[in-house]
Amino acid sequence: MKILPSLRRSAALLLIPALALVGLAGCSTPSSPGSAAVADSVASGPWSYTDDTGKMVTLDQRPEKVASYADYALGLLSYGIDPVAIFGRTDVASDPRFASYDIENTAIVGNSYGEIDLEALTEAAPELIVTGIYPTDREGTLDLAGPLYAFADAEQQAQIEKIAPVVAIEIGGKGSDVIASMNRLAESLGASEQTVAAAKAKYDTAAADLTAAAQETDLEVTQLYADADGLYVAKPNDEPELELYESLGVDFTDRNPDGYYYWDIYSWENAGQVMSGDVLLVNVEGYQQSDLLMQATFASDPALQAGQIHSWNGAALDYASQAAHMTELAEILRSSKKL
Amino acid sequence: MPISPTALAPTALTGDPRRRSTHARRPLVLLALGIGVLATALVSLMLGSNLISATAVLAGLFDPAQDVASVVWGSRVPRTVLGLLVGVCLGVAGAMMQGQTRNPLADPGLFGVSAGASFAVVIGVYVLGTSSVLTTLWLALAGATVASVVVFSVAALGRGLSSPVPLAIAGAAVSSLLVALTSFLVLSDETTLAAYRIWVVGSLSGRSLAGVDAALLFAGVGMVFAAANIRSLNNLALGTELAHGLGENLLRARLVGLAGITLLTASAVAISGPIGFVGLTAPHIARRLVGGDHHWLLPASGLVGAVVLLVCDVIGRLIGGNAEVSVGVVLTVVGGIVFIAIVRRGKMATL
Repeated sequence: MKILPSLRRSAALLLIPALALVGLAGCSTPSSPGSAAVADSVASGPWSYTDDTGKMVTLDQRPEKVASYADYALGLLSYGIDPVAIFGRTDVASDPRFASYDIENTAIVGNSYGEIDLEALTEAAPELIVTGIYPTDREGTLDLAGPLYAFADAEQQAQIEKIAPVVAIEIGGKGSDVIASMNRLAESLGASEQTVAAAKAKYDTAAADLTAAAQETDLEVTQLYADADGLYVAKPNDEPELELYESLGVDFTDRNPDGYYYWDIYSWENAGQVMSGDVLLVNVEGYQQSDLLMQATFASDPALQAGQIHSWNGAALDYASQAAHMTELAEILRSSKKL
Repeated sequence: MPISPTALAPTALTGDPRRRSTHARRPLVLLALGIGVLATALVSLMLGSNLISATAVLAGLFDPAQDVASVVWGSRVPRTVLGLLVGVCLGVAGAMMQGQTRNPLADPGLFGVSAGASFAVVIGVYVLGTSSVLTTLWLALAGATVASVVVFSVAALGRGLSSPVPLAIAGAAVSSLLVALTSFLVLSDETTLAAYRIWVVGSLSGRSLAGVDAALLFAGVGMVFAAANIRSLNNLALGTELAHGLGENLLRARLVGLAGITLLTASAVAISGPIGFVGLTAPHIARRLVGGDHHWLLPASGLVGAVVLLVCDVIGRLIGGNAEVSVGVVLTVVGGIVFIAIVRRGKMATL
């Protein structure tokens, strides 16, 4: 789950700053996003790929050395494609999501949003760089003039594009579409059909189990981030991961589907409005159980009182990550009771 | 031509008539400000982002059992009390700081107090991984105190303390260093940045009265130092040399003043985060109302600070829909405009 841009966005909404975004001349030409990728499975031949922004990248041969933002690096790793460099929003070395992968020989070139070590990235000599893009609204509008996700600004993006061409995965809309986009890129980079099919089989099993757990338990789940300013409730129609789980039958708190994009924000005085959930999934960043219990206006929340509260981190949108995450969510549902 | 002493006496003793009228109405102004504070506190109890009726607020206030979702006792009461405390502390500290430095643009954070608190809070998030309100409060108090002691030591090692300039320079230097270290930590870790960003804006949201005893103690002791510093502040207003000539012990005057400013600002910063403009503007408004005598200026500035802070907090609660806008943000906008107006009218009292 992305915390930063949304909070930045909410701050921007309140402050209405005149954010002049510098246009990136000639960086990408919007065409029909999602157009069929032209992937050449022959490694020696020319390689081309059209990403989710409609930008087509053509190389003399299929890139072997790929640098990636952490979330998509996880997807690539799950298909046996080892990135040469990874940049993350938080410390990559201690990111538990990488625990099951060997990234000993991978260069970690960034551990904080927009802080990418360009020299180290150049040294890793990637032939392709993978990152993401979040839509700016519910309609899926992509701000192609602004920097892609994970980059500090257009200037930094221009420098990174000099190192290697950049492709972006759109993180918006349906979760299954995001996974499909990840798969399309991975297959284009050489993941075999069998590998993808094996991952899909595990994913399908976990998805079916999550659906079963949701039906058995019939619980309302509230996914939130909290800090001194108030509660931010993630919206299942706007956050692709929640959308995925909801499409599988999990019921998420969504009091105001037509309101602001991505988050519903409640001041602590209004926290009482979102006490309907049976299970709380609180973002690993921000307030946890003990902090929430100290907020008088939320302390009486039934799920909080019942201890049905779990620290929750957004998982990457690929088959392997989601299979694990859905299994975890199914366990949480089965260990909780209706309140 | 010799001037007879009797001819000089009337004006020397009573000043010009306008000033005399200012003097005469000072108690009334303080009374009015006191009533203003009470009225603001009442408004602050009544209004918030959760639009409950005045009857519901009163019912909840007098019978906590009827306090639906703890809005009154869980949010309105603590915010009002803490807002008053922070406003008074910043108002008094601002007036003291401007008196000590004889600089109308001096802010209570000038001696490194805010920078020290910020750095400590960031260390807390970075090392301990906590951004809970209480831990933050303790860290801010500790950081503010340590930074002030460092600033004072640096200044004392140098050219001495008779002039406020070494203190201000030491404060600026230590602040710059702390801000640089803070930026380093914040830029290298996204989680720290997120927590720091929330704190540094300055807000009264999500605070409770439980556990703020330390901040209250700081504020109380700070007030005692402030009261003890009033005579010295009046003497210092005449200039360091003249104050010295009047028998003022400069070192003691500076020490007491610095202690007062540090404790008051630390208390405010610990509760709400570094809030700007109150400490800067409140003394100017107060000076207009009661003149420059610190016996009247300090209390008036404190009361003005309380009103300004609470009013801005209420505005922030009302303009955010279901959410709220932090008082720090509102103050930056409102306080900025007010301050420009004060400067533009050109009547800023020379100190």
